[in-house]
Amino acid sequence: MEHFDAVVIGAGNAGLTAATALQRGGSKTLLLERHNIPGGCATSFVRGEFEFEVALHQLSGLGTEDSPFIMRKVFNDLGVMDKVEFVQEGELYRMFVPGEIDTTLPACWAGLKSKLQEDYPKESDKLEAFLKLCSDVTVESFMLLPQVRKTNDENQLKANCPNFIDYGLRSAKDVLDEFFDDEKLKTVLAAYWCYIGVPPSQMPFQDLAVLLYAYAEFKPWNIKGGSQALSSALLESFLEAGGEVRFNCGAEKILTNDNQVRGVRTETGEEISCSAVVSNASSVMTYNELLDHDVPPIEISKDFKSRRMGTSAFVIYMGLDCTPEELGVTSASNFVGNTMDEELIHDCMNTMDDPVAGMLTCYNFDDPSAAPAGKSLVSLVCLQYGDLWKDIAPEQYAQTKYEYAEKLIDLIEQAFPKIRKHIEEVEVATPLTMMRYLNTPGGAIYGFKQNPQDSNLFRDHIDAVSGLHMAGCWNNMGGFQPTYMAGEATAKLVLKELKEKEIEHA
Amino acid sequence: MPDNNILNAVVGYQEAVKAKEKLEQSGTDFSEQKGDVGNTIAKLHPKRLTLEVSKIIKETESTKTFRLISTAGQLPPFQAGQYINLFVNIDGTETARPYAISSEPSQRDYYDLTVKRVHEGFVTNYLLDHVEVGQQFLSTSPMGTFYHNPLYHGGDLVFLAGGSGIAPAMSMLKDVLTRKQPFNFHFIYASSYISDYIFIDELRVLAKQHNNFTLTEVISRPPEDYQGITGHLSADRIKSLANITDETMFYICGPTPFNDYCQQQVAELGVKNRRVRIEANGPPKNPDTLSNWPTSVSMDDEITVTVTGKGSFTAKVGEPLLNSLERNGYSAENACRSGECSLCRVKVVTGEVFNPPEAHLRKSDREFGWIHSCVAFPTEDIEILL
Repeated sequence: MEHFDAVVIGAGNAGLTAATALQRGGSKTLLLERHNIPGGCATSFVRGEFEFEVALHQLSGLGTEDSPFIMRKVFNDLGVMDKVEFVQEGELYRMFVPGEIDTTLPACWAGLKSKLQEDYPKESDKLEAFLKLCSDVTVESFMLLPQVRKTNDENQLKANCPNFIDYGLRSAKDVLDEFFDDEKLKTVLAAYWCYIGVPPSQMPFQDLAVLLYAYAEFKPWNIKGGSQALSSALLESFLEAGGEVRFNCGAEKILTNDNQVRGVRTETGEEISCSAVVSNASSVMTYNELLDHDVPPIEISKDFKSRRMGTSAFVIYMGLDCTPEELGVTSASNFVGNTMDEELIHDCMNTMDDPVAGMLTCYNFDDPSAAPAGKSLVSLVCLQYGDLWKDIAPEQYAQTKYEYAEKLIDLIEQAFPKIRKHIEEVEVATPLTMMRYLNTPGGAIYGFKQNPQDSNLFRDHIDAVSGLHMAGCWNNMGGFQPTYMAGEATAKLVLKELKEKEIEHA
Repeated sequence: MPDNNILNAVVGYQEAVKAKEKLEQSGTDFSEQKGDVGNTIAKLHPKRLTLEVSKIIKETESTKTFRLISTAGQLPPFQAGQYINLFVNIDGTETARPYAISSEPSQRDYYDLTVKRVHEGFVTNYLLDHVEVGQQFLSTSPMGTFYHNPLYHGGDLVFLAGGSGIAPAMSMLKDVLTRKQPFNFHFIYASSYISDYIFIDELRVLAKQHNNFTLTEVISRPPEDYQGITGHLSADRIKSLANITDETMFYICGPTPFNDYCQQQVAELGVKNRRVRIEANGPPKNPDTLSNWPTSVSMDDEITVTVTGKGSFTAKVGEPLLNSLERNGYSAENACRSGECSLCRVKVVTGEVFNPPEAHLRKSDREFGWIHSCVAFPTEDIEILL
């Protein structure tokens, strides 16, 4: 039987970064992927003259060349910085609520403040204080808190993280209400809640703070050739380092002996021996279906019980035969809502009713190479829980899909009225499409529901099966930067563990 | 979490811990959902179907319809115009070909595949000459993007069909009629010979019965004293037959030269790209006539294909890579075999291949050497990762 130091199950973002970091770190690694292409949701597909980005809207954490941030180091360590080209976006987003709000925020920390102060002069001083709080909470919760927690010294916490203590874990809504009276301003500032999937009332303020601060300070980015280019670059780096990959080859079982990983059986029945498994599949799938135990380990079971399934998404991918200018696009990212009530929007995500809020991303606004000349590449998105779609009879599925798509187009056309008449290519993805391609329960796109309790602050690291590690959004935040980082962090842990084992056996 | 956890000093922390305990009491470990994802997807898009030939209908001298029933449960739904990829083993060679479903989606007891003989058609001729009732096949579930999309296709539909291209048209027409869609559907059905017309009697009856369905027959090699319309589907011909507006949607399906010709003709009429759907139809037969074909290479040149870690074989430049792989006992997942679906994607480690326009490659595929093996022609010795 062939032996590997590590087998990585799934070539999504975290699987790819884990595999690449493992192989480059000296571990003999096998990467298994059930599809024919690396990336998971970080992929693209081609229809006619268009290549559609599946999932990436705004990549965070890169910073600029002059003022780099963490992802440049991560990608550099993974050997992909010279294999991809990043494109900086000029705006954070345009927020549009018919008759109420139409504003576009620049992707610049100073510019953001002056734009908001100009739009909401009465809240000027509060804005100053609020934005400072966002940057303070970000620095405290992501830079200082991890150090302070190691000391477990309350005085250290009070000295280093005063703003986090007062604001970090309160709900975003609570903090916005404390600062502002203007409902429109609160709606504009909370727009990024849909990158988390829970409304401001259920979202810890630290998450909103970091989204606003990090996107404005370190800029939103996209990638030439889309997220697939980065997925393929990671795979290339993995192969260059000597890694082995198998496509169209899913894992069927994670094999253990005395609660210690011993190998993986693939769907073709082949058994592969290994010392460690990194699973990029959902934790639910990993422990309830892949692991060769009859029941999941007790600590996992307990952990699962306090989790709730996260949101999926409904997406319309469109190639239009008009330019972004003709379409009226002034920002790559656009949030469009019929209401400023995020609670109502979130309630709607649990129904098949007409969507009341959605997003349009125009990929060739900042990167003209993302669509043929004279055309536009856009996606229309609304979040929706996936379980709703499971009960639709198979023969009703296509019609239901198109009917829902019509409603989403109606919604978005309020901001971009010419969409329909320019459609040249269109593909509709429902939560079941997400389920099909991501293999996640409920078609979840960000993992479990990201309520405050989902945060690692409330979770112990679980080492239930020796040698089995998770990498992905299921015990971390969802989204691109968090999953890339999760894979890299897991690889570091595995490399350390493998090294310790080596020493034990030496 | 230990009681002396410093996070207890954080506003909201203790409340959140309590909320978590509450969630834990009412939550589950998701074990009740075991198999749920797999089962949900299998109802819509099973990876493989096992099909049995229940009936073979002789349509014309050169065409048969194979009626395929499922050996396990109901067949998955499809959108009229879609195809399945049928896996066959012919004298030890495992290969496959995509065939449009000609039956309508409103019934799912069977899928009809209508197959017309093709000169030197490896699989087509096998199906027509050797397949019998009761025989079983594996196939993909229905797929493809050639169908009426209600989001933008509208209700003024013109189908330019050539030869067996009538198969998906038939499914689309019956779907429109069964569901009583308020569409006007016009078939302009081209054939070389009258005797090659498939479904023609049924189509003529349907045209008489339904005001919203028009059938125009166009014959390119008419018998003497033929009274009907003759010739090719030139721009002028199409213009004279159809009342084209900005809302007209064209569907084109037939042999590749027919598709290319019709595409050119409707473009000449000023029809926008967004109003034309063309069904892909296999790899180009004469890639050496396409632009960018390397002049020093001829179709009959022999090259060596090495599959990393597995072996190597010689093949002709003019044979699509997927076909030569299959002939030599290698397998790659595949479905459309026309460059579109990307399932047969493989990585070229060394050497050059010719990618025709049919290859709908991603930008990053070109960058990192990934190709669609079904339409790729190796123009020198190559090594690939499979």
